[in-house]
Amino acid sequence: MTKRTYEWILPFLFTGGLILTRYLFPAKMTFITEVALYTLYVMGNNILFGYLGYVSFGQPVYLSMGAYSAAIYLAYLGRNPLTAILVAILMGILVGILMGPVLIRLRGSYFTLVNAAFCAIGLFTVERLLIGITRGNDGLWFRTRMVATPLLDIRQPKNFFFFAMLVLLVIFILYRRMDRSVLGAAFKATQGNERRMQFLGYDTFKIRWLGFVLATVLSTLAGSLYAINFGFVNPNLGENSRAAEVIVATLLGGSGTVYGPFFGAITFLGIKEIVSQWITRWELLVGVLTIIVLFKFNRGVWGTFTDLLHRSRKTMLMQRKTP
Amino acid sequence: MEESKTPLLRVRNLYSGYGNLKVLFDITMDVYSGEVICLVGRNGAGKTTLFRTLAGFLKPFSGEILFKQKNVVGNFPFEIALSGLKYVHQDKQVFSDLTVRENLELASYATKDYDWDRVFTYLPKLKVLLQRKAGLLSGGEKQMLLIAMALLGRPSLVLMDEPTEGLAPHLIQDLTQVFKEIRKETTLCIVEQNLPMVTQIADKVYSMKEGKIVAETSNPEEIRALVFEKYL
Repeated sequence: MTKRTYEWILPFLFTGGLILTRYLFPAKMTFITEVALYTLYVMGNNILFGYLGYVSFGQPVYLSMGAYSAAIYLAYLGRNPLTAILVAILMGILVGILMGPVLIRLRGSYFTLVNAAFCAIGLFTVERLLIGITRGNDGLWFRTRMVATPLLDIRQPKNFFFFAMLVLLVIFILYRRMDRSVLGAAFKATQGNERRMQFLGYDTFKIRWLGFVLATVLSTLAGSLYAINFGFVNPNLGENSRAAEVIVATLLGGSGTVYGPFFGAITFLGIKEIVSQWITRWELLVGVLTIIVLFKFNRGVWGTFTDLLHRSRKTMLMQRKTP
Repeated sequence: MEESKTPLLRVRNLYSGYGNLKVLFDITMDVYSGEVICLVGRNGAGKTTLFRTLAGFLKPFSGEILFKQKNVVGNFPFEIALSGLKYVHQDKQVFSDLTVRENLELASYATKDYDWDRVFTYLPKLKVLLQRKAGLLSGGEKQMLLIAMALLGRPSLVLMDEPTEGLAPHLIQDLTQVFKEIRKETTLCIVEQNLPMVTQIADKVYSMKEGKIVAETSNPEEIRALVFEKYL
């Protein structure tokens, strides 16, 4: 099998693996759905963090924006969940286009902290300022207002599971394509040596802006899917105290890689799911694991796995060459 | 070589520096199409600052930079690069995580010039290194890659900052041959401390000292006689 074929198979393999797990452990369907949705969210952060080198403590606000734009649409304006997803994507594009030029001018801790502040403002907005629309901490319910979608009624959790898998598969394929394209190389090159990119004739501001828009769209898409899955949304989703979680998941999986977010989501949510049964403060283990990853395996789960694979392939080739 | 009357690059009374610190004083120079210009001078003479200003990374305090008869002062570096003025920085930094092929693809995409064969005629070694990670290249190979990336897009003028710095003598000789070849398609402006190389390729030499151009010569005999050596 050529490297190219093997790479094309991976998105199908990973989503297929999730579907298989659902049949092996039917009781874990909600958890597996969450893995798919969280992967999309981590993928967004991975563009910022892994590809462009921005640490954002404001990602929950974009997730929350997606969730609330879908929820508000379904609660007040329309009934079709697919349209609600489209509304959330458009919201992501709009926010990315409008906020991007302001935020991506900032570097390092300034970007991190301004995003954190933006996250706090977002939380205050849905909790207090727009309480008439969002119902504040009581949350916004809309499950009964949703109408059946054609072909697959995604109001049903079982159907929603397959819908989430389909979305994940499509995003996997697009994400991989982006990684292999000039755009992916441009993202990484801008992070590595922005001046050299400018010497080559690239407007690196636009590259960073585009990365920000893509990251925001992935977060709002994930947010809208979360909202539709639960039929309800509340301000907890955009809590700024949860901002570090997505960064940790990105690190655990392997930042700057295509499939790192998938493994980051599995590892992070897996620890939360399993360990929280015995230890209330499950974050303790995540903290320890993050330290180990940062010091010992800074390429994360997927990065370390691919490194080992390359190394063993190299050793095999060497052994074949040696008479 | 027949020179056109209008210079490709015309610099007049240029003052530039960093923040409030003035580094360049009243720089005036002309570069004509097809020429190879060498800038010589001690460390701290302002050669790199001049290149950084020409490439748009530093905004001059005052003065005029006309490239292809258009004022480029205040233009963004990427706009200057796309207009045909490329800058090869002295740090020899390539995109280490990307392969040689990906590095070239980035350069091609920006300029829409995918004629790699033309570049490989000057730098044939790169052809066999396409799959190698750029971070694993030697200093000389990195320099070759940077030159190749700069040549994509057929720039009118390439500024090269100390291309031979840190290279072994045989590599410098190779590079000299490369410069002799690529001057057929582009104008070169090179900051260089390696005087034997300067004598081999330069049509005109500007000597810089303490932020000023203190001497210039386009007399081949003077260049061969290293009359500018006293400024080093």
